[in-house]
Amino acid sequence: MTKTKNVRHHVVIGSGVAGSQAAETLREREPDARVTILTLSSLLFYNRYDLPKVFRGHRDWREFLAFPAEYYKDHRIEVRRCSRVAGVDGSRRTIALEHKEEIRFDTLLVASGGRGYIPEELADFRPLMHPFSSYTEAVTAAGVVPERGHVIMLGGDMIGLDLARTLVDTRHRVTLVAGPQTFWPHEVDEDERPGLIAALEKMGVEVVEAADAGGIASIEQGARGLSARRVLFKDGTELYGDVVMPFFGLSPSVEFMLGSGTDIERGLLVNPALRTTGEGIYAAGDVCQIWSDAEKRYRFFYGWKNVRAMGELAARNITGGDEPWVPVQDEKLRIDGQGKLQSPFWEYE
Amino acid sequence: MGDIKPPSGAPGAPAAEQREYFSDDPRDIGWVRQNVPCQTACPAGTNVPVYIREIIERQYGRSYETNREANVLPGVLGRICSRPCEAQCRHGWPGNGEPVAICHLKRVAADMKDAGHRITESLYSPTGKRVAIVGAGPAGVAAAHDLSLLGHDVVIFEREERAGGMLRYGIPEFRLPRGTLDIELHNALRLGVQMRTGAEIGNGAGQIPMAKLEKEFDAVLLATGCMAASPLPLQGDWDKRELRGLEGVEYGLDFLVQMHRGVKKVVGKRVAVVGAGFTALDCARVAARLGAQDVTIHIRTAEEYIPVTQEEIFEAKREGVRIKGLRTPVGLAVDGNRLTGIEFVQNRLGGWRAGGRRQAIPIEGSEFHEPCDTIIIAIGQQTVNDFLGTGLELDRWGNVRVGEDGMTSHKGLFAAGDYVNGASTVIQAVGHGRKVAKRIDAWLMGRERRKQVVRIVPVAQPLRERAFDFIPRQHMPVAPLGERMKDGAHEVELGLDEKLAFEEAKRCYLCNLRYQIDVDRCIFCRACIEVAPRNCIKLVRGVEVNDDGAYGKLLETKEWNQVGAIWIDNNECIRCGQCFKACPVQCISITRCELTEVEV
Repeated sequence: MTKTKNVRHHVVIGSGVAGSQAAETLREREPDARVTILTLSSLLFYNRYDLPKVFRGHRDWREFLAFPAEYYKDHRIEVRRCSRVAGVDGSRRTIALEHKEEIRFDTLLVASGGRGYIPEELADFRPLMHPFSSYTEAVTAAGVVPERGHVIMLGGDMIGLDLARTLVDTRHRVTLVAGPQTFWPHEVDEDERPGLIAALEKMGVEVVEAADAGGIASIEQGARGLSARRVLFKDGTELYGDVVMPFFGLSPSVEFMLGSGTDIERGLLVNPALRTTGEGIYAAGDVCQIWSDAEKRYRFFYGWKNVRAMGELAARNITGGDEPWVPVQDEKLRIDGQGKLQSPFWEYE
Repeated sequence: MGDIKPPSGAPGAPAAEQREYFSDDPRDIGWVRQNVPCQTACPAGTNVPVYIREIIERQYGRSYETNREANVLPGVLGRICSRPCEAQCRHGWPGNGEPVAICHLKRVAADMKDAGHRITESLYSPTGKRVAIVGAGPAGVAAAHDLSLLGHDVVIFEREERAGGMLRYGIPEFRLPRGTLDIELHNALRLGVQMRTGAEIGNGAGQIPMAKLEKEFDAVLLATGCMAASPLPLQGDWDKRELRGLEGVEYGLDFLVQMHRGVKKVVGKRVAVVGAGFTALDCARVAARLGAQDVTIHIRTAEEYIPVTQEEIFEAKREGVRIKGLRTPVGLAVDGNRLTGIEFVQNRLGGWRAGGRRQAIPIEGSEFHEPCDTIIIAIGQQTVNDFLGTGLELDRWGNVRVGEDGMTSHKGLFAAGDYVNGASTVIQAVGHGRKVAKRIDAWLMGRERRKQVVRIVPVAQPLRERAFDFIPRQHMPVAPLGERMKDGAHEVELGLDEKLAFEEAKRCYLCNLRYQIDVDRCIFCRACIEVAPRNCIKLVRGVEVNDDGAYGKLLETKEWNQVGAIWIDNNECIRCGQCFKACPVQCISITRCELTEVEV
């Protein structure tokens, strides 16, 4: 009598850095297992840090893919694209997709990342802004900015400032409306800030402090013959530009996990081994808050190197390991010898 | 196991019964309780599907009156209700989308009824009985209204200058305009209710002793709510230390009450609000309007567990309020007598407490400091009993102990609302006030005068289109930030306009419609099963009957030789009407079933 082998089904929600790395590690460590990635994206995995390339004329989606489609076939990783997760039932170990399909899992890794956060007071102006957190959004934004056009960047954050470097380099005019999130996710002291702002200006970015103008009152569509967008401040001053792009950090994509039986504060709360409070459910990347014994608090760890390491660690722990999280990258913002800003999050491979 | 014949009046019953009728059959009463989750969840028992249907028919005045049958303050609750109905709405069940905006539609009925709209009241002849009510908050007002309709002479004693209780003194005007409140209070109390404001009950100088009320009235109802702010438990040197008097320390309830009494309130630039309820959120939003530059609400658990609507949270954030979770204050930092910050300890989430709240477990050694100029403590409210002086029995929480009939340990002395149940919500207070009013009436008259029945009305055809199921929830229009932050009185939510209201009302499944298959006429063709969008039509061999006589579990079968009936599982049914349209022999009937009261 032959014995049927008990094959586990590992499901990964999210096909970004953490999810893709996790899927690869899962395959390596458990060759017989079934590995499925569920992603909202229509594209296979690409590095978000490559997106500024769209302003250098690279807009073919194939140039952005980290691996060819064959890679997934060869590694027997099933990627379900355009799949929106509606909910997760931790007790039944099922995932409900929006199109009413139910998927059973043995272990689940949530690596859904974060989406660009837009402060609630600016939510009404969302249709007038161009976010930049996916390939589609990047191509759309690049399509509306004319050559040497003027980009108004709200907030900043290290994703936005990275884009600003490219925009300045490609002879666009960049005006940064700076605020509390300008150097997100770096934590910057008040006395450090003026020097960092000066470094940005030295890099060719024009800086307006939102607080000095009383904050943003509204964003409006420019009248015929004028620039496409107008940002109006509470003190009556205004800025005209071709596009307004919001960069206020990331907001973890956890809505579908509400009611799943896992603990959530802002992100999914995980222990140092990246286990959530739900049996068999792990989390990695920008979506999770990891308990730090040293700091006695839950905290996010950002940067693609950290995120990739989290994906790998989660997969190792899913497949029998029990290792704690150790960050792999420096988090200190600095000014280089030329007086320019440098972030460890900008060190790409 | 009971039989599976339909109750009387349904298809298959004698023809004479195929018309509107009233039923006290426990199967019918149980059906409504099980199948109309919004009405069952409403502490006042508001007939939600009927008032929403009346909005679709653009009968706003009638819709308002349907509301008023259960709740005398529809315009008020249409703005500030905690919405237990929406949490249970079938449209919000997994796979069905978002709940219907029941509360916003209630406001539509109130705002869009005609000017000079005719109020409908069922008046009973005078009984000659006198009832004193202490407290003119939502419970007291609801009870006063019902008792006056029932023919009793009601006098309300209110210590503040104006009626309304927490509604007037605890809720900011940007959420509840005072014009709306005044009109609805006036409507509720104008049927002969005497309002004595500035009348404080107690044994001090100028106060009215409770004993006097008990002597002069046939019944007395205590409805004084929870009007004392709960103290903030701290640790170490701050344990049990009196915080009042420290510069920069405010208690949320007192802060709001004083402001609404006309006291000018001032806050610092950095305001920390401690608490997670509506009062905490209101205090934070008021602080933002008073000019604070940094307003943060600190909560013990996480945003997911705050008992406040998502819309309120979003609007507060839009106004600049931040929420920080997983922290409990353990001490304050002061410079002399002036507050400079708060010492917190980091929490992790624990299990669930009784009452459905999430536990927060402090993590040893994780203390941290947050600077602030003002702390507003809004962690709860409690009752005040020192005015009683009558030796009433209290429970271990210090609330007055009442019996099943709402009566305290003193004969003829009743209690209702938050004063009995502890701090709850306005709709719970209204519902409880009405419930106790009914018991007071029964006690005064020596018998129940009204009883609950189900009105069953045949409906000729489905009232919904399948397309209605795909309409997204309509969002409440709000005032622009620039306008709303100018003062504390500018209403934030503007109300759905007629078009939005119509779209939103169409989303309601109208769960009070009961679809039934006449087993005797069914030809078992399965056409209804084929078109059903959900697993709502089932082959059953029987149906269990619960202890209370209501229908229970369906006993499903896949064996044709065991099938006793094809049964519409009204719990799964979304009232789309597809089965009705597909049936070739018209063996499916629709009836509207609604709870109502009739004379005994």
